[in-house]
Amino acid sequence: MKILIIEDEQELRKSIKQYLYQEGYIVESASDFPIGSEKVNDFDYDCVLIDITLPGGNGLEIIKQLKESNSKAGIIIISAKNSLTDKITGLDLGADDYLPKPFHLSELNSRIKALLRRKNFEGSKTIIFNEITIIPEERKVKVNNNEIDLTAKEYDLLLFLIVNKNKVVSKNAIAENLSGDFASFSNSHDFIYTHLKNLRKKLEEQGCKDYIQSIYGIGYSFKTL
Amino acid sequence: MSLIKKTILYYLLLSLPLLLIAGFISYFLIQNDVRESTDESLWKEKLNAEKIIKSWKEPQTYYLSSDSLSKIIVENTNTKGHFYSDTILFDKSEQENINYRVLYNYSQINNVNYQITIIRSSLESDELTDGLLFTLSLILGFLVISFFFANLIFSKILWKPFYKTIEKLNSYDIKQNTLAEFETSSINEFKKLNEALTTMTNKIYSDYNHLKEFSENASHEMQTPLAVIKAKLELLIQSQNLREQEMQQIQAIDDSVNKLSALNKALVLLTKIENNQFVNLSKISIQKVIDVQLLNFESFIQNKNITIQKDYQNEIIVEMNATLCDILIANLLQNAIKHNIDGGSINIIIEKNKCNIVNTGLVLNAIPVELFERFKKNDSSKDSLGLGLSIVKSIIDRYSFNINYKYEMGVHSVSVLFANDIS
Repeated sequence: MKILIIEDEQELRKSIKQYLYQEGYIVESASDFPIGSEKVNDFDYDCVLIDITLPGGNGLEIIKQLKESNSKAGIIIISAKNSLTDKITGLDLGADDYLPKPFHLSELNSRIKALLRRKNFEGSKTIIFNEITIIPEERKVKVNNNEIDLTAKEYDLLLFLIVNKNKVVSKNAIAENLSGDFASFSNSHDFIYTHLKNLRKKLEEQGCKDYIQSIYGIGYSFKTL
Repeated sequence: MSLIKKTILYYLLLSLPLLLIAGFISYFLIQNDVRESTDESLWKEKLNAEKIIKSWKEPQTYYLSSDSLSKIIVENTNTKGHFYSDTILFDKSEQENINYRVLYNYSQINNVNYQITIIRSSLESDELTDGLLFTLSLILGFLVISFFFANLIFSKILWKPFYKTIEKLNSYDIKQNTLAEFETSSINEFKKLNEALTTMTNKIYSDYNHLKEFSENASHEMQTPLAVIKAKLELLIQSQNLREQEMQQIQAIDDSVNKLSALNKALVLLTKIENNQFVNLSKISIQKVIDVQLLNFESFIQNKNITIQKDYQNEIIVEMNATLCDILIANLLQNAIKHNIDGGSINIIIEKNKCNIVNTGLVLNAIPVELFERFKKNDSSKDSLGLGLSIVKSIIDRYSFNINYKYEMGVHSVSVLFANDIS
């Protein structure tokens, strides 16, 4: 899986690169419009992360360029401008997702995985991990081949933890993933705990091992090692 | 006092002394003229009298008028020449004093000395004064009336561009995103005024836009370093050799970054609402929006064991921007959930064009009206940004809706009156 990051802020570029590299992707980066445009032209990528405001040009132009060359790459816009018009224009041009800054790397990772899955780049649309099978298209989860009945939030929570497996995922990141803009609720951490407790119980009922570890109360980690 | 009234007043104040002076001057001039002509006719009569005397064979006393005042008498003095004098006599028939002009003439005709007295009633000074006063007040009256009407007409014509300019200024709203345009006038002063106003409003307009752009850009630019901090923190917590205390400090930083970012987003949103950047209108059912938003908040509602009661008596359909409607309802519901108590309740009542959201909650320590101001919040809610209700307020103001907030005995109730209900 090859990913290109087109982002002018060096430290952000480095951080994204590091996180995705740990996830096993081949990651390349471009710091401005001309380099980004050139790389997109010269190489094939499975996923391209594009910042809209770039030195030397508009990131939206790169999306146009990708679409004109019939690229199959998934496109995610990462923009500091949380602007509806930019989002709509970007998606209209053929971008697959729009992630406003600042974002959690775990969220970016989960968006990339979902995109690659939708594009069927990883060969299968289901996520299989030991006794757990997730069928994202149907939002179904099976443990030891027995379907378990999860609420929407429990399903999202499991999926988010599993795509970021072996990473420490903070409660803030989970809250944002589950409730989007409403993550600022003061009791959001309590409610993550409630959902997690229920999820664990449902998984254990079907004989699933407890993979989810609490990390010093600041977050959780889906440990497979 | 209007300009016209003031102008008339000043004209009158100025014309009063002018008329008085003119009155005095004309009084003396007229008096002088009248005297001269009286004297002239007295002289003519004297000449006539002398002719009569010349025709006499012997001297005698002769009355020239029936009242025996004008007369010729034989006088044994050597005085010669003539003089005029004024005298006042009582007139019996009219029962009043009358002014007379008298010519005394001493002449020697046929070696006899005669005194010729010729008397004539002259113009009375009080009559002259009365006449003059009457004429002058008449003139004054005419002046007032003509000033008034002339000014009325002139102001309609001359001041028209001025009033147009004022009207333009009054109706000008910088948020409409248009430049103020003033008509050109053929009157130099107004032309200059309009030019000055155009320059000024254009300057204000461009300054306003620069400021707007600046605050938008500043907020956007802030998101990038925040993104860096957030990303670095996330990489940091992946580290295997961090102790619990360090992890918790990292979480505190992450919380603050999130808060800063949320604050920033809320401020950008406020700016956008105030700058009128949500323009697309659509017809929206308030009930549907409430139901959708309640679904979004479902887990929070369940988490707090809040009971929701809906009482929809009719449907409210408003024409507004869909995003803003979502934000409005979401903010109101969010408040009702956030400031609720465990096991509390929320009643949503819709009747006519009014939507009431009534919820249980803790005692309110802040002044209700102040909650709609930026960064004002009830001190019991430390985690909130204090911008939710000001966002609500700016949306409400944007569409001229009405919002009311009441707190009574542990029950908070917010009611929104939708002005343009079109159902």
